[in-house]
Amino acid sequence: MTLNDRLRAVFVDALELPEGTDVENLNYRGIEQWDSLGHMTLVAAIEDEFDVQLETDQVIDMSSFKVALDMLRGLSVDE
Amino acid sequence: MNLIAPSARLIDAATGEILAGAELSAAVDRTAEAYAALPPGVVFARAGTSVPTVLRYAGALRAGRAVALLDPALDPAVLADFIGRFEPAVVVGLAEGGAGADSGERPKSYQQVDDEVLGPVWRREVPPADEPHPELAVLLATSGSTGDPKFVRLSSSAVSSNAAAIAEALAIGPDEIAPTSLPLYYSFGMSVLNSHLAAGATVLVVDGGVLAREFWQAVQTYGATSLAGVPYNYEMLHRIRWSPAKYPSIRTLTQAGGKLRDEMILAFHEKISAAGGRFHVMWGCTEAGPRMSTLPADALPARVGSVGPALAGGSFSVVNAEGAETAAPGVIGELVYRGPNVMMGYAENSADLTRGDDQGGVLRTGDLGHLDEDGFVWLRGRIKRFGKIFGIRVNLHDIEEMLRDQGPVVAVSGPDKVVVFVEGIDENAARDLAGRLAERLKLHRSGFDVRTIERLPQLPNGKIDYRSLEAQV
Repeated sequence: MTLNDRLRAVFVDALELPEGTDVENLNYRGIEQWDSLGHMTLVAAIEDEFDVQLETDQVIDMSSFKVALDMLRGLSVDE
Repeated sequence: MNLIAPSARLIDAATGEILAGAELSAAVDRTAEAYAALPPGVVFARAGTSVPTVLRYAGALRAGRAVALLDPALDPAVLADFIGRFEPAVVVGLAEGGAGADSGERPKSYQQVDDEVLGPVWRREVPPADEPHPELAVLLATSGSTGDPKFVRLSSSAVSSNAAAIAEALAIGPDEIAPTSLPLYYSFGMSVLNSHLAAGATVLVVDGGVLAREFWQAVQTYGATSLAGVPYNYEMLHRIRWSPAKYPSIRTLTQAGGKLRDEMILAFHEKISAAGGRFHVMWGCTEAGPRMSTLPADALPARVGSVGPALAGGSFSVVNAEGAETAAPGVIGELVYRGPNVMMGYAENSADLTRGDDQGGVLRTGDLGHLDEDGFVWLRGRIKRFGKIFGIRVNLHDIEEMLRDQGPVVAVSGPDKVVVFVEGIDENAARDLAGRLAERLKLHRSGFDVRTIERLPQLPNGKIDYRSLEAQV
């Protein structure tokens, strides 16, 4: 599975997204499910799945799926 | 009433626009004049975190109109029910709110108008049956996502006296810059707005909350000096290892809206003290407009767990189990607050809006606790939060405290048992916990129903939604 696919699966699972959600174009607070509570769940799920620990700024900067993906690439998470 | 002192400013983080002095005053006057053309009655303001919301709110107060601050994400059916019951002259802020915010269908007897000053509104076509009481200034919905929501009625003198008392307790002067970290329709968020505008300070209007990049960018760009949060916000900041060291302009942290764990209070107190700032634990409720007490920062760490003494102009007493009222230290009972900020009463419908002061400045808080020798309040949970197991009364708050090491836990009352919701535990652990409670409380274990829950449900203000949990039992 590609990094993109793995991250999409984490988003769908952590935010309990309905089928057919355009996950790659999601923004923080752009949908009801991705509120502050969802954000914290998502951060925990990303840390679990990719075995990373996110810094304060990374949590705050993670304002979209794309930013999250770039961030993981920056952390040298394997594709 | 005029909420805004001459030196007050509003900064719109989204546009960079700064409204101050004569310009701010003129903007508020313009909204006040726009209300004058409407039929009598209260203003319903869908209150997203925006400068137009603040102007529509302050304008209504200046026009002498009572204004209800409403969550823009309120279920359209609930909004429609509110409109039917309270017959507001106008519903403003139809375009407010982000994801999930929907005002619903235009109600009967209302016209949709795009007002030049107020923006898109629903305007009532016929005057309401009842005219609101002249002292009435602000209406806030009681928390609770289910059940029977009603309004708390706050008079203009309650709102202004509380704003002044908060400014005094927190030493809010014209140099302070407070970001809108909490929703404006939430009493704590409203009080941050009121106390700063009344003290001639600056309110930095920024949407998104403490997990949003825009929020912290605005804090840095405009040099915000304080941060207000509920326990949930501080838990989140702790979880992401936030440090005030990165935001040296922030000198004051305030916390209200429920009990923050002592170790968390001390951790934030230490962090902000090291940066030359202060941490204030406070206590309030919507019915008190909302602030009742503030713990002076120098009382930490010695008095961690207390919410401090009454604000200037207020006082506390305790009603003990026999019904006797006393201000003597050490007596445990229901805390009673007296002060100029106590609500006029509740309102279920438009007829209630005509009522004067039903409370006489006295508020039974529904919270158990005691006072110490210096009049500091020490809380021990809600008075009504008792469960019965085989006829024996157990304090649900105490049960939650016993299980603090399990993470987020809520105990609610079921039929002759207590149901405990614990986030993400398995069946074995649940059985063990039930056994542990039974042993501690010397009651049979069948009286404890420990259930796993993925996430405890929350209200928009971050507090636990007890009612929805009770509904599951």
